[in-house]
Order: sequence, then C-alpha cells, then structure tokens
Amino acid sequence: MPLPFTANLSENPTDAELMEACKRGNRRAYERLYELHAGRLKSIAFHLVGSRADAEDAVQETFLKVYRAMDGFEGQSSLSTWMCRILINCCYDVLRKQQKLAEQPVRTDVASDSKLPLKVALERALGRLNERQRIVFLLFEVEGLRHSEIAAVLQVPEGTSRSWLFEAKRELKRSLMEKGA
Amino acid sequence: MKFECGDLDRALSMPELMPEAREHLKQCAACRREYRVWTEISTAAKELHEEWESPELWPRIQRAIDAEPKPKPAWWKEWKTWAIAAVALIAISVTVVWRPWERARAPASEVGNPVALNAANRDFLTEQALKEVEKNENAYRQSIDRLSQLAEPKLQSAASAVAVNYREKLVMLDSAIAETRANLDQNRFNVRLQTELANLYREKQDTLKELLTRDQKN
Repeated sequence: MPLPFTANLSENPTDAELMEACKRGNRRAYERLYELHAGRLKSIAFHLVGSRADAEDAVQETFLKVYRAMDGFEGQSSLSTWMCRILINCCYDVLRKQQKLAEQPVRTDVASDSKLPLKVALERALGRLNERQRIVFLLFEVEGLRHSEIAAVLQVPEGTSRSWLFEAKRELKRSLMEKGA
Repeated sequence: MKFECGDLDRALSMPELMPEAREHLKQCAACRREYRVWTEISTAAKELHEEWESPELWPRIQRAIDAEPKPKPAWWKEWKTWAIAAVALIAISVTVVWRPWERARAPASEVGNPVALNAANRDFLTEQALKEVEKNENAYRQSIDRLSQLAEPKLQSAASAVAVNYREKLVMLDSAIAETRANLDQNRFNVRLQTELANLYREKQDTLKELLTRDQKN
C-alpha cells in the first residue's frame, strides 16, 4: 500500500516545486530534498563540528527545523542557501551543547583515504583558522558555493565574503609554509 | 612600480597586479614556492569534501518528523483566518444591529434606563402592574357591590317578568364572576382571565345601572 502524500512529484522537481510539495505534506518530496542536500550539508557540518556522528546530529536537526519552518519559507533566498544557514546555526548548537565552543573541533574521523600530506596538513591548518575564515573557506573552496551564495548564507556583503576568503587562504599559506609543505 | 616579494599577497587579491606578479615569479624561487602553495590550497581543498554513507540518518529524520506535531497545511490556516474573521464580523453586526433594535422595541419608560431591561426588574414591574390591576378591581367590585345593594330591594320586591330576568342575569353574572375569580386565584398573571373578569364586572355594572334607571323611568 503506498504511503500517504507521495503522489504528483515530477522526476526532476525544482526547489520551488519541492518546497510546495513538502508544504502539502508530501513525504516523498521531503525525502528528495534530503537526497539532494544531505551530502553537502553533512560535509560542511563535519568540518564545523569535527566528527561524523555530531555532523549527522546537526544535519538531522537541520531537516527538522526545515520541516517546522517550511511554511514560512517564501523563496527569497535559494533553498540550499536557507538550509545551509540553518545547518551552520545547528552546528553551533551542537558545539555549544558539547561545550566545545571554546576549543577548536578535534578531528576524530579523519578520512580513511587521507594519505596526501597536503590534505592532512590543510585539515589541521583549517582547524586553526577563526570561525568566519573557516566557514568561508569551507563553503567556497571545499563545497563550491559562489561568493553571492556565501554572502546570502552568512548575511554579509559579497565583498566581505571575498575578503574573508583571502584572509583564510593567506593564513593557510603561512601555516603550511611554516610546516614546510 | 617595482614588484617586490612582499607584494605577492596583495597581487593575489588584486587580479590587475597578476601580470607583474608573474614576471616576478619567473625570477624569484621563494615567491614561486609561495604561489605554488597558494594554488595547491584550492586544489587540496576539493579533497576535503567528506562523503560517507549514513543509512540510518534518513530513517532517524523520518522518526523525528513523525514525532513532531503535524504542521497545518496552508489552506487550513487560510480557512481558520476566514472563520475567525467571519465570527468577528457576525459578533460586531449583532452588537451594532441588535442593541438599537432592542432599544427601539423597549417601552418609552425603559429607553435610557438599562436597569429596566434587566429580567428580574422586568418581573418586579409585572408584579407591580398586577397589584395595580387587583387594587382597581377591588375598588371596582366594591363600587358594583354598593350598586347591587341599592338595586337589591327593588329586585326582591319586583314580581314582573322583566325584574325576574334581571335577577336571573345578575345571578348568572355573579356565578361567572365567582368562577373566573377562582381560576384567577390559580394563575394571577393570566391576562385573558383578568380581561374576562373586567368584562363581567362591566356587564354587571351595566345591568344594575339599566335596572335602576328603568325603575326611575317607570
């Protein structure tokens, strides 16, 4: 027997179509939203909270908050931007809950294929950046968001996003050169 | 302007300085190394994207959503809003239309006197009115009784058929009056019985007057 509220979802729905279907209570649409965005959200969360388990907690909380707030989403920003903003706040909540805010997140789940020295060095150097530099670097260089999108997520001017990215890369370069990369 | 090693960072943030920077890089090994690290950061950063399977995550999210109170669909909110607006409109309409209508309906003595609209006070007024009627009825009955006393000797002494008819009519009227009064004792607020009793008294009064006037004429 089919689950309720699963009908009328096109094969490649747009964000707006997905949100409309979600608002109507279409559970399949919500699952599709998860399939489209969970990968990137998990990765961002991992770099912010430092472990896969905590990252999954943050992503779960993000989807719950999206579910609660979807009626209020009017499409003024893109769906991915909106979800990313919620995720970052959830990551701060996770860090606060675990009283990790004062210290930098400790990488407990280093990727199994992280044999490249530069990658390992970069991961460690990233942990030494301040929050805003790390977030901008993660969103631009790691996750491939544009400066206009980052500006919308962080609610700062686009120029500020570019400036923070430059500061982040300069710090990383300095750190990596000191370590003899 | 001569490009120096310290200018590299500035050039990395200002694309218009890059042609000069590239010329400098050809001659400076230290800056070449620095620039290589700069470009490799972006390349290595792509490797930092983390992908892992989380087969339990979506079921967890589903369970958490199922435990949430269901969000009301948009149409429900719209319907609720319209319903509230409709109820408010009806309430306002009733207040605006009903009160002046009720005031218009109220007797002149009650207009401008909200206390008179009170149900308890209305009962009090009914009781007062009834006492007034009963008081008048007593006075009326006493005056008719006096009239009856005046007519009584003539009725008793008269032997004519007309006098007998008057006597029988008065007996019938007294009997009807007694019966109506007995019924009224059961229900003092019965307006129909009150009216009927008043009519009987009037009839008796007219009959007595007619009898006395007839005797005077004769």
